[in-house]
Amino acid sequence: MSGPLAGLRVLELCDEPGQFAGKLIADLGADVLKIEPPGGSTARTVGPFVKDRPGPDRSLNFWYHNTNKRSAVLDLEGSEDDRALLRSLAACADVLIEDRAPGALATIGLAPDALRAANPALIVCSITPFGQTGPWANWKSSDMVGLALGGPMMMNGYDPEDAPGAPPIRGHGDQGYNTTGQFAVHGILAALIHRDRTGEGQLIDCSMHEALACTTEVGMPYWLYARQDVVRQTGRHAAAQRTEPWLFRAKDGRHLILYGVGRDNESWKRLKPWWQAHGFGMQFDEPRFDTPLARQPGRGSPEAAEIMAEMGRFIAATDADEVYRGGQERDQAWGIVRAPDETLQDPHFHDRGHFVPVTGEGIDEPALMPGAPYIFSATPWELRLPAPRLGEHTAAVRAAGGAWPEIEPS
Amino acid sequence: MPELPLSGIRVCDLTWIIAGPTATRVLADFGAEVIRVEHGQAADAVRFGRPIVGDRPTMNNSGFWNYINRNKKSILLNARHPMGGDLLRKLIAASDVVVENFSSGIMASWGLDYPQLREIRPDIIYCSVSGFGHSGRDKAFTTWGPTAQALCGLTFTSGLPGYPPAGWGYSYMDHTAGYSAAVAIMAAIHHRNRTGEGQHIDISQIEAGIVLNGPAVLDFTVNGRSWRRAGMPPGNRAWEPRVAPHNTYPCAGEDSWLAIAVMNDAEWRALVMAMDEPPWAAEARFATNEARLANEDELDERIAAWTSEFTGYEAMELLQAAGVRAGVCQRASDKFERDPQLDARDWWHEVEHGELGPITYDGVLPKLSATPGSVRAAGPLIGQDTFSVLHDVLGMTPEEIAATEAMGVLM
Repeated sequence: MSGPLAGLRVLELCDEPGQFAGKLIADLGADVLKIEPPGGSTARTVGPFVKDRPGPDRSLNFWYHNTNKRSAVLDLEGSEDDRALLRSLAACADVLIEDRAPGALATIGLAPDALRAANPALIVCSITPFGQTGPWANWKSSDMVGLALGGPMMMNGYDPEDAPGAPPIRGHGDQGYNTTGQFAVHGILAALIHRDRTGEGQLIDCSMHEALACTTEVGMPYWLYARQDVVRQTGRHAAAQRTEPWLFRAKDGRHLILYGVGRDNESWKRLKPWWQAHGFGMQFDEPRFDTPLARQPGRGSPEAAEIMAEMGRFIAATDADEVYRGGQERDQAWGIVRAPDETLQDPHFHDRGHFVPVTGEGIDEPALMPGAPYIFSATPWELRLPAPRLGEHTAAVRAAGGAWPEIEPS
Repeated sequence: MPELPLSGIRVCDLTWIIAGPTATRVLADFGAEVIRVEHGQAADAVRFGRPIVGDRPTMNNSGFWNYINRNKKSILLNARHPMGGDLLRKLIAASDVVVENFSSGIMASWGLDYPQLREIRPDIIYCSVSGFGHSGRDKAFTTWGPTAQALCGLTFTSGLPGYPPAGWGYSYMDHTAGYSAAVAIMAAIHHRNRTGEGQHIDISQIEAGIVLNGPAVLDFTVNGRSWRRAGMPPGNRAWEPRVAPHNTYPCAGEDSWLAIAVMNDAEWRALVMAMDEPPWAAEARFATNEARLANEDELDERIAAWTSEFTGYEAMELLQAAGVRAGVCQRASDKFERDPQLDARDWWHEVEHGELGPITYDGVLPKLSATPGSVRAAGPLIGQDTFSVLHDVLGMTPEEIAATEAMGVLM
């Protein structure tokens, strides 16, 4: 086993909202035992499915979010024996992560406080839409509802002329759950570092609403310091005042984002001949374009607006890849707007071994999926196990009789 | 005051702009001693970042800089001066963690790549956050948050079908790369606690974003289906699971929206009850999820006609009381002025800032029962802790510090 959390024993009682937190920890080397109800986690019913045929072991969504975990089915609602088994497992676990409604575990006799009383070193992290307390604590939510209430959605969308009457837009990929999962893991690791010193565990109350409320960048400071709400704009930062566009459609139909053009004089001097060889930006030799501040976006400068307008014409006549690489080779932090699957075509990330092969029901050859978000030199991120089949490790858990089940060598 | 979970951890913070400082904000919130090393002649551009308080930037009055740099210390040090370089090495020797988010290659040009850092302190945890990472053919390429989220797929997946990408209206990938770095650093601290071993953590901001869309990538590698196809991205309608109704609906008032997510038939019945059982909702073409998906345009129009009769908060209260997942698309002002949940959770904290007086911050999450994080101090004035760090951490005498300052090292 590798990974900085190797040896850590984690019980996970999570569906969609909490499974990313469990994945982050499992992928860092922890032994995460996912306890699922009979029939399986609701996450197993979320598509896309392998070849569009649903089945508990065919959800690609589940495959991705449950790497490196083991699965045992216990009937915690219906069986006192299974609840006793869960208590035994919690007595020898380091961490328990759960995403049930506040108080739900207590109603079936598995209150986190009681589990902690039996194992004071245990860290219990509860992930909920709004936290364990407060007037909304028992409200229902979803990824989109979380992104709405927390504030991210109201900052994403369109200029009125691009899409009249368009609503605020939710970015896909369960980003509300992803951000909440990262915060949950912050809390778990901070508690773990405290426990390394003292031996003491604790309870962690992780609210999706809070995770998203503080993940809106300048949105909150604009209110706290200037009492202004920022307004959403097409493909660029929401702002207190309208800013010039950054988003451009290339000749091949793909979009590019140019957040700033030639901010420093050296790169500006290298960019001009490139464009001018294509017949664009002839006016940029005029001295009014010489100062970096005049070229900086987002400040209402007429020169910046003119540069961006000319860039629009240049890009419309050029393929996206040529603009992207040509800009980057001249120190411009530009980007192509890629679909998630298009990242697979960029050899840079294959150089780094980013995409990893995974296997599962219904496919003959391993398929690639995103791998490590971080490269550790001493304790590498590793795909040790694909997502478990439903109940794949139930027998091993029962056979261990309440002790932590050993991992069978694969 | 309760003990902080990361107390005793010292971080030499060489970060700037947003992604790196976001990582060290998490560490500082949980009690690490984060020392930002700054240079007045090459100050963090965000120190001039809007919103600012007053008419002109002073390096200390940026609301945004203060927002992401609370709980930290700031020292002034010219690391390019030979004596400044020596002091930086001493600070690294006294630190558990070094974090930076320069472009790949900058630290090496300072003589501070990982092997050299390790000579200074063998168990150092060194975390670098860059656009493309420190290896791979395009490692010299660079990103801002907006371009990182474009390159990793996140901008594309946010938008209405048939329209240009709406993307994210802020640097979500600066937040998220910072959050990933905080995860990695704390995991590495735990590993070091057990084994005594430090390490280098190489984070690519783009890879930290690619991992946020795994199922979309697998749908391509397993099913051959790209998100670049007609009808995608699906706006606020559900991708997976495919359920309806699932959208944002206009409410009374200007630019006011309510998100409603109905995940199954039981929640649909709850929504119909909450809408007072309008006759259209009883029709067979809305009876099952499949039927609702087939008639989604009309379904959304009908619900929009209902929500338009209420303010967002009225409709949200009504629906939540009936057990329907619903939430107002809140602005910053709404969170601060109208959100009872954040208030009840003591979310807002006021602390004194050296130049701006009392200022307000949001809170620390998640809440740890025994050793919670806290908002203890505002963002530091530039260099406000130079003397105390040189004196208390590096053990320099006031005379040595004065002599160093006289040579132009502490600026």
